[in-house]
Amino acid sequence: MVLLDIIKRELRRLTSRKIYVVMMLVVPLACSFFFLNLMHEGLPLKVPVGMVDLDHSSMSRQIARSLNASPLINIDSDFESYHEAINGVKSGEIYGFFLIPSDFQQKAIAGEKPTLSFFSNMTIFVPGSLSFKGFKTIAVTTAGGIVKTTLVSAGADENLAGSLIQPLVIRTHPLNNPWTNYSIYLCQSFIPCLLALIILLVTVFSICQEHKTGTSVEWLEEARGHMGIALLGKLLPQTVIFTSVGLTIQAVMFGFLGFPLNNHPVHMVLAMLLLVTATQGFAVFITEMLPNFRIALSIVSLTGILCFSVAGFSFPVEKMYGGIAIFSYIVPIRYYFLIYIDQALNGIPIYYSRFYYVALLLFTLLPLIGLRRLRRQCEHPVYIP
Amino acid sequence: MNWFKSLFRVWRRETRLVFTDIGVLLFFFALPLAYPIVYTLIYNPEVVKKIDTVVVDNCRTADSREFVRNLGATQGFNIIGYASDMQEARRAWMEKKAYGVVEIPADFSRKIGRGEQAVCSFYSDMSLLLRYRQYLFSLTDLQMHEVSAITARRLADGGLLTSTVGGLPVNTQANFLGDVSQGFASFVMPGIVVLILQQSLLLGITMIAGTAADRRRKNKGYDPLGYEGGTLATVLGKSLCYLMIYLPLSYYILELIPWMFSLPHIGRFMDFMPLIFVMLLATSFLGQTLQVFVRERESSLLVIVFTSVVFLFLSGLTWPRYAFSPFWKMISDLVPATWGMEGFIRINSNGSTLADVSHYYMGLWALTGLYFISAVVLRHFTSKAHADCQRQGRECAEVSEI
Repeated sequence: MVLLDIIKRELRRLTSRKIYVVMMLVVPLACSFFFLNLMHEGLPLKVPVGMVDLDHSSMSRQIARSLNASPLINIDSDFESYHEAINGVKSGEIYGFFLIPSDFQQKAIAGEKPTLSFFSNMTIFVPGSLSFKGFKTIAVTTAGGIVKTTLVSAGADENLAGSLIQPLVIRTHPLNNPWTNYSIYLCQSFIPCLLALIILLVTVFSICQEHKTGTSVEWLEEARGHMGIALLGKLLPQTVIFTSVGLTIQAVMFGFLGFPLNNHPVHMVLAMLLLVTATQGFAVFITEMLPNFRIALSIVSLTGILCFSVAGFSFPVEKMYGGIAIFSYIVPIRYYFLIYIDQALNGIPIYYSRFYYVALLLFTLLPLIGLRRLRRQCEHPVYIP
Repeated sequence: MNWFKSLFRVWRRETRLVFTDIGVLLFFFALPLAYPIVYTLIYNPEVVKKIDTVVVDNCRTADSREFVRNLGATQGFNIIGYASDMQEARRAWMEKKAYGVVEIPADFSRKIGRGEQAVCSFYSDMSLLLRYRQYLFSLTDLQMHEVSAITARRLADGGLLTSTVGGLPVNTQANFLGDVSQGFASFVMPGIVVLILQQSLLLGITMIAGTAADRRRKNKGYDPLGYEGGTLATVLGKSLCYLMIYLPLSYYILELIPWMFSLPHIGRFMDFMPLIFVMLLATSFLGQTLQVFVRERESSLLVIVFTSVVFLFLSGLTWPRYAFSPFWKMISDLVPATWGMEGFIRINSNGSTLADVSHYYMGLWALTGLYFISAVVLRHFTSKAHADCQRQGRECAEVSEI
């Protein structure tokens, strides 16, 4: 039972230093709580915006009331001029404003086509887009309302007027996330990616620590010279811990918070298990190729952090430059993300995700390539600061 | 005078430590130099255009074909083909050949001809919100266009009111401020570069501390390369060294990078530089505070790297700060990059002046004060503990690993 001895040895090592407990349990769980709690409302509604009413007519007050009734925006302040409002945007007080020009009502009734303008600050994407959406809806319905009044007063009946204003409706169905819930969208990619980052760091840290302190010789000896068994015994306890953490997070998201899970839960459980082992495999491979403690850690930090961007959680991979997009396919988290989309969000047959599971499996087997190199490093541990 | 001398010595020693340590040099120079370029390259296509879409046309008339042609002419849509029914369209979506499906009902043409309301359906994949957003923008534009075309035709056909109502009686005009092109790189980069400044500085500072702790462990509590000035001189001298390195870097990262990639950059150097200067000062003291948690050279990476993601969210770049709960708002107030990013974004993209963002600037000074005190207090106690250790010549808690 060589393997059991190694496992026991590893458990002793893991419990001997606080940093392992903190990094393996506290950080992933605390960060998940942070993300889920921060965005629990789903959408950052009630964007603080401003209103510039230069008309002060009954119609402009009507528009202001409709704006205030919109769930997307919240009129925080009234400004006397465009200049004041733009200063509000510049200081970060508001994210946009709605401008009603002077003589608006008069011109609208006279058919002189006055212009309703609205300004959205797009430097911060989400509130900018939401304020745009809120403004646009009100502006269009206001315009529609005026046409309807004109038509009805000209003798058309109400129904005809309605279809004249909106002869074509395009009904949008956002599949499986009809609320466009931001938390569902972001947490499902960012939290697993953060977990993967921590797995990368801890795996490299725990192996290179052996080289640094020179205990790798003893580690290999205890496995009777079998590098494979030594590695397996070292990583297995970590696999169990990380998988448990990962499944806990999944249970909270899918079970407790009710995020979309439109297929059998086992598909996602398997994906999480494979994500853990694939990420470990990736980390071990890096260590085998770059035995220097600091460089190996730097490389996995670099990839782990870049994963958040290059894995295409926000910007679609197929629209990136080809030379960059290729990198998204050499990180395990990309495949987990694709499985999540297929299996949990969209709930399509597992057949369509088959290659993603295989890819994760291949990452798991990656360390086999450099096993010999690792053994040499263990026999003659070198530490370069 | 003596105080200045020891300040100078601390600064000189710290500079030597930085420039002889390849790991720290990597964090202080390679990281801030290379990361902005890598990030911008990832996001540089800016706008998601021409998303593959399938059409299910149950109507098959000239009207519906024209509708699809107009759809294909928008920025967001690339019509890859017709599917015979929803099943086939669904298969294309499952195989990721298409991210959206347009369904035109059989009575589309008839309803338009009769003057009734025609309803089309659009199904959007929701895996990435950026795609959905582009779809939505294109559809809104198209709808406006179609509606005015159809209305004009109907009114003309009916001989009704054409003179009174030519389209809508009120124009609407949308204006985008800041990121006018609505590109993704233009939105995300000005924030990210500020965060890179903070995080690389924190990584470097904590690595220096971890290396010193390693040396102390090896030499029974004594650091052969350490230089102990007074508490105040040590803290300030170190910060002086970091600022010396980071001020030129800020010029590169905040002025040259936006210029190189044509990102929004209308702010003035003299407006954002004072803000960034205070942020760097606060960060250097924060780093010296965090040093207590790093007692090994390599653990600096473990402790600092993951915080980048947390700090990114705390800054309000993705999830705006007005929607934070009071608790998270308080936490985010404690991060220098939060204020640095909020302020820099507004100066850089909205053309604010330093006076416009004075509350962020003042917030940074407050953080500088806070972390200066914490760094001084911690420095005072740790150097006392180190001295005790050396005198007793034994391993004690302050040198053990965490």
